[in-house]
Amino acid sequence: MTRWFEETDQMYDVFVLNRLRLVRNVEGHVFPSRLSHEERSEMLAFLEEKVLPLMAEDGQPYAYCHLNELDADHRNALYERRVINHSRVEDKEPAGLALSPDEAVSLVLNGEDHLRLQLLSSSQSLENLWPVLSELDDEVGERVSYAFDQKYGYLTSFLTNVGTGLRASVVVHLPMLSHGSQFRKLIQEYSRFGISIKGLAGDSNENYGGLYEVKNQKTLGQTEEELIGLVSQAAGQLAAQERKVKSLALRSHHLQLEDEVYKSYGVLKYARKLSYKEGMTYLSQLRLGLCENLIKLERPVNLFGLMLHIRPANLRLNRAEDLEGDALDEARAQYIRQNLPRLG
Amino acid sequence: MLCERCKIREANIRYTEVVGGVATEHNLCSHCAKEIDFGQYTGLASLFDSEYPIGKILSQLLGLGDGREKEQAEEMASLVCPTCKTTYGDFVNNSQFGCPDCYHMFDLLISDKLKQLHGSDTHTGKRPAGFCQGEEEDVLEKPLSDIEQIGILRSKLKEAVEEEDYEAAAGYRDAIHALEGKLAEGRDER
Repeated sequence: MTRWFEETDQMYDVFVLNRLRLVRNVEGHVFPSRLSHEERSEMLAFLEEKVLPLMAEDGQPYAYCHLNELDADHRNALYERRVINHSRVEDKEPAGLALSPDEAVSLVLNGEDHLRLQLLSSSQSLENLWPVLSELDDEVGERVSYAFDQKYGYLTSFLTNVGTGLRASVVVHLPMLSHGSQFRKLIQEYSRFGISIKGLAGDSNENYGGLYEVKNQKTLGQTEEELIGLVSQAAGQLAAQERKVKSLALRSHHLQLEDEVYKSYGVLKYARKLSYKEGMTYLSQLRLGLCENLIKLERPVNLFGLMLHIRPANLRLNRAEDLEGDALDEARAQYIRQNLPRLG
Repeated sequence: MLCERCKIREANIRYTEVVGGVATEHNLCSHCAKEIDFGQYTGLASLFDSEYPIGKILSQLLGLGDGREKEQAEEMASLVCPTCKTTYGDFVNNSQFGCPDCYHMFDLLISDKLKQLHGSDTHTGKRPAGFCQGEEEDVLEKPLSDIEQIGILRSKLKEAVEEEDYEAAAGYRDAIHALEGKLAEGRDER
């Protein structure tokens, strides 16, 4: 089955990915982080007994596994594909993962909190995703009694999640806007409104690929709809700015942009070795070209999916080889060559 | 005269600086005076806080003041949630709670932190189905647990100190000590 990031029937646009996640805990039970290994196993068994039958009723065959029994590459690959968060990669304690075939719906049992429910989509808006997640939340809530407080709302292991337990985020592709000198300042401005904007890939000094995640910082004191509205609005504003900068740049530097896009395609199509940073940079340029109709491909391709597939752990799993250094870069170049359509 | 720094508030502090035998006079409001760097006299700046001396003297009389602040901080860090044994110190170190009861146990201590993080300390969003009804019944029927009572008393104590009603504050403090003693006894027996 096609996974959400492999669907190709979508427009090339600034918006890349919408994500909603809720964390919940079970009343009368200590949070996983304070449990001993045995207690954690018992808690996991309890959660599996309560929640897994629900997933079986959902109509699509969910895959279920124990995260602690997977090897490091499998856990890292799930992290790279946004299914689990980083703390699940490091933690070796018993935790479960139920995952829908398209990887759009996931449930982590016994992670930092007892339950973590997540929806990912590249086509549905946050506003459309919320009723779906809320319904899943209600159904789980019928099977276990949630830890909820009149004043504080849903009680969570971290104070940064208490209240709604909701994190809403939109990944936007801002290759032009992020090059501007005022971009850092703009990001800081948003934090005053409870919005955090972080680069999706790269290191502390540099962003790879111009992808930025816009998400709510606060979880308490506002309703879920308000939080989602805020994130949508912020992402919408950034997207509008990006489009504006793009159209200006296209008018004044059309040839230069077109040249960069075609050069990027050339490198992606013919390079024999590509680092993750190079891959991301050229795919980002190509994505910009496709968005603006500067280049045409023989068939549509999900470039964000390609960006996920060329991350180290996913690449290693795909090749079923323990690749490092140059060998990994070679495999990356090969993967892109094989999956990038010809010019149309 | 307006404060020469902010030019908004009335100046109520006159400060004379003598550098190399030349005296210059500054007129500041207490707010700006607190923010100005007085070099080696930085400690003096806190004196400009007009509320400082009287409140401090009174709270010292009640045993809540400066002399015990360090002791109180230590006492706070060693507060333990009876359900999961998380101490307030643990929470400060990892910013992670151990169980739902921690929220009641450390109720008063996290209120400011929550406001800082979220700009609010009250949930307004979704509730579990049927929660509202059930909870109201609970409130009527179920007596408050000791932990909940301590939480309520702590917030009353804080309010009383803020309002400088020290008689009431002393009463709340004693009641908290009594309940904490009871809890500790219960733990020892177990």
